[in-house]
Amino acid sequence: MKVSFTLNGAPTEVETDEQTPLLWVLRDQLDLKGTKFGCGKAACGACTVQVDGTAIRSCSYAIKFAEGKNIRTIEGLGNRDNPHPVQQAWMDFVVPQCGYCQPGFMMATAALLEKVPKPTDEDIDRNIVNVCRCGTYTRMRKAIHRAAELHQSQNLKK
Amino acid sequence: MSAKNKVSRRKFIVRGGLGAVGLLAVGTYVFRNPIRRSVLEVAETLVPPYSGSGMSANLWFEITEDNTVKLYSPKVEMGQGTFTGLAQMVADEMDLTMEQVEVVGAATDTGVVDALSTGGSLSVAQLWDPLRELAATMREMLKTEAANKLGTTPDQLTTEKGIASNGSQSLTYAEIAKGVQEWTIPDAPDLRPRSAHKFVGQPVKRVDLAPKVFGDPIFGQDAVLPDMLHACIVRPEHIGATLASFDASEASSMPGVVQVVDKKDWIGIVAESYPQALAAKAKLRVEWDIPKVWTEAEIREMLTVGQGNKMVTQKAGSALDPEDPEVFSLEFSSPIGAHAQMEPNGAVAHVEGDKATIIISTQVIGITQNQVADALGIPKENVNVIPTYLGGGFGRRLNTNHAVRAAQLSQAVGKPVKYFFTRKEEFQNDTFRPPTHHIVRGKLNDAGQLSGLEHHYASGDVAINSVIMPAALHTILGTDVGAMRGGNIQYDLIPNHRAVQWHTTLPFATSWWRSLGLLANTFAIESFVDEMALRAEQDPVAFRLSQISDEGEGKRLKAVIEKAGEHYREGARDGRAMGFAASIDTGTPCAQVVDLSVKDGNLTIHKVVCVMDCGIAVNPDQVKAQCEGAINMGISAAMHEKMTIDEGRLFPTIYGAYEMALMKHSPRDIEVILLEGVDRPLPVGEPPLGPIGAALGNALRRITGQRFTDLPIKLT
Amino acid sequence: MRFRLFIASLLLMGSFGLAYSLSDRLPETVPTNQEVTAEDPFTLMMNVLTHKRCVNCHPNGDRPRQGEDSHYHNFGVVRGPDNHGLEGLTCNTCHQSENDDFSGVPGAPEWSLAPIEMYWEGLSRTEIAHSMLDPERNGGRNLKELVKHLTEHELVLWAWEPGVNSEGIPREPPPVSKEKYIEAVKAWAEAGAVVPAE
Repeated sequence: MKVSFTLNGAPTEVETDEQTPLLWVLRDQLDLKGTKFGCGKAACGACTVQVDGTAIRSCSYAIKFAEGKNIRTIEGLGNRDNPHPVQQAWMDFVVPQCGYCQPGFMMATAALLEKVPKPTDEDIDRNIVNVCRCGTYTRMRKAIHRAAELHQSQNLKK
Repeated sequence: MSAKNKVSRRKFIVRGGLGAVGLLAVGTYVFRNPIRRSVLEVAETLVPPYSGSGMSANLWFEITEDNTVKLYSPKVEMGQGTFTGLAQMVADEMDLTMEQVEVVGAATDTGVVDALSTGGSLSVAQLWDPLRELAATMREMLKTEAANKLGTTPDQLTTEKGIASNGSQSLTYAEIAKGVQEWTIPDAPDLRPRSAHKFVGQPVKRVDLAPKVFGDPIFGQDAVLPDMLHACIVRPEHIGATLASFDASEASSMPGVVQVVDKKDWIGIVAESYPQALAAKAKLRVEWDIPKVWTEAEIREMLTVGQGNKMVTQKAGSALDPEDPEVFSLEFSSPIGAHAQMEPNGAVAHVEGDKATIIISTQVIGITQNQVADALGIPKENVNVIPTYLGGGFGRRLNTNHAVRAAQLSQAVGKPVKYFFTRKEEFQNDTFRPPTHHIVRGKLNDAGQLSGLEHHYASGDVAINSVIMPAALHTILGTDVGAMRGGNIQYDLIPNHRAVQWHTTLPFATSWWRSLGLLANTFAIESFVDEMALRAEQDPVAFRLSQISDEGEGKRLKAVIEKAGEHYREGARDGRAMGFAASIDTGTPCAQVVDLSVKDGNLTIHKVVCVMDCGIAVNPDQVKAQCEGAINMGISAAMHEKMTIDEGRLFPTIYGAYEMALMKHSPRDIEVILLEGVDRPLPVGEPPLGPIGAALGNALRRITGQRFTDLPIKLT
Repeated sequence: MRFRLFIASLLLMGSFGLAYSLSDRLPETVPTNQEVTAEDPFTLMMNVLTHKRCVNCHPNGDRPRQGEDSHYHNFGVVRGPDNHGLEGLTCNTCHQSENDDFSGVPGAPEWSLAPIEMYWEGLSRTEIAHSMLDPERNGGRNLKELVKHLTEHELVLWAWEPGVNSEGIPREPPPVSKEKYIEAVKAWAEAGAVVPAE
């Protein structure tokens, strides 16, 4: 089936089996490799993207549900010239080690900050449940708090 | 720097002028100092020398037209920060800025790859001398050429930020290298002293930071070749099962399926997309031969002190008598551990005639090249293994023979094929951390000091049967040198101390898991020592210090214990207490203090102080990151993780059910204090995994009164 | 053990119960002498409603359960302010409006937890029934609306199409067929929504 949606701000249309997980459409049809395959079972969070602003595990999201939706991946979060506050904070604290899980964490964090602009440690603990095997959690927590500050000051400027 | 360690001029092969794109200077370095000490010693305390591959025209550096120096790293980057450390070393010796150094993983066709592996926390430590020498030699070569071009002499030139200058005239390195066909190789120059380092020793940002923050396609999973197909493989769920028969009639007719490849002992499904391959796999009907349905109890029984191959790995004084009423003993155990690295294993392969290209996340580039060449019956030189960034290694990618299957699938369909494991396959076909069993015995003398301490431990394979250790090693040594890590007693002043290993090969693959035996062995010994300190009514820090001599690494071990001890406070208050433990691994001592509390059965880790002496910290920030990561991974292993065997199968097969530390379990703060007891870099990535398990248990002992002896620790 | 207790509670259901009439108004409770048999509508209905496919998402507390063994939902998933999870970790982060066979993640329209007052976990069959009939604890539904919810709501009926789990193994449906269950709910309601005594 044909599915149309907005991807990182651009109108996009794909032709695929309607049950194909969004993850594979992003990675292999649209060649956006930043969204990762970690488990394919919506358990690890490496494939997290945003659909209409909500953090979604793209491995368990059939492409047919994407019709008319606004989808954002790590490639659309920010770029080197204009990093998203979450990406800036991640660089400030040098969070990534192997880096594989990081796009999923950043997408989940960015989605959280839209709804909880100033998350407490408890908010972070309960909402950010992706898996990082390298154990970057301790830096990530600091980076999330920094990202919240950056995000707020950015919003104030708007 | 003594002459014998310098670059051999004869072996510094040079070629130049490869096309318009880049201008190449090339070299290969063969460490000339043979392994002089016994393998056992090397495995336990020393950094074995780096062993680069071959004498062919391998290259280390490429100078590109935009005046960037590209380093082809023989080691892979799996998160440990090696690329950054290497770049810092190169920048300092070649007088470059960090931005002027680019690090890429060398492929077997394009550079020097480590013939053995990236692992053992050795990358920076091993390359410390050879890489700096190469870089310094490179700098002098550039100066010599610059002098030729400018009509001056090298000693009139200074180098800075990738430019050679005599004050009035200057050339960039790219301008110098342009058109050079033959290089003059100077004598290996002296290396920069520490005082001259601009980058080594500084917390510079990771060179792979931006690609990892902006989602660049840098991993094995992200590799693409034109016209590539996607594949999955059918694997048995049961331990020891083999393929009996299968019916692919329904699977073959599923949408997108290109071919169901029958390789007799395994089946591959090649399709146009990965989800199509997976959907077809679900329709495949397979019958397995299951010779035996293993149970958890049988495995446990096999791995018991007193079973298997016995080897005394350490012996001083006489043995303790277990019947002696004054001998106190405790039993400990650790479970089967999964690597659970985030990026599933797999490979992209393209086989064309007698040539093969493999793109893969691997810790063993050279061995993978051999494996593919052997399987396809083609010369090794015809197999180009291109490493990518690894989505985690932790030892799991020290055997990537699955590259063979990717190659065979590509051969079968005549196109490039990307194939990788599902997560369930990862969990059921891991090369697990073996379960362990320990009996620790000790006896206190009248002065409240240990007069005897013994560690008896049973383990499955770690180094034995692994592709990176010669099969003969076991026969020669009788010891699994991997299982041995952390197994010996570090308290050398105890007059009677010994360590005894009992090794058994299990019916499923067990192998390297970050820090090897260190995690479980240290948990057992340091929990026991803590218990003895309590029995002796002594401060656990002082108790430890009093039983370590100044011999060998003892001084450095004592230094980290003393430093960490400053952060330790004895006793529990309001459900909150600290725990202390220390270990020394591959020459790097580490002591940790855990500050935690238990409320309503919930554990909160407030802080971990980690004191480590890894010698020179090439990048202190990334050394700290390794400590933080190891601590979180250690908390995960000590408090959460456990594979079990249920009716012959390993479970669980998914994250979540395989409990791991998440954000909420991580310490609120980790403070890393680095000591520099030697003037060279030592291993970093694994040593900080040693103390954490025991430190947690020791803190919990003070809160609950209970001595936790089995991992994972479960608060009830 | 749990199964045995379950049987015991069945046997304990005595001859006294409460009856409700099928009107728009919630009925008064009326004692009856109706007998409980293995095939009576109440038992059939409760065989379904006490099944893990239902109770896992009617938890007594803020943590959903999952799986055939009804373990707490992995990753510390919690109810959140509106029963749809938390701000950054909603039910829809993983669950969509249909089951997903690739991941084994179950899904249905309005995937969510039952509100806390509708908790069933740990309740006996009669307690669940009373809870369902209590407008304070059933979302203000009258009996007609309750029957509609029990027999037509897609999230309820999902129990008979629960999909496969993460291993690709079909989830266990309730022990009574959907048709028989719907019939039983209606028959029970039409007969006065009698709740047998414990």
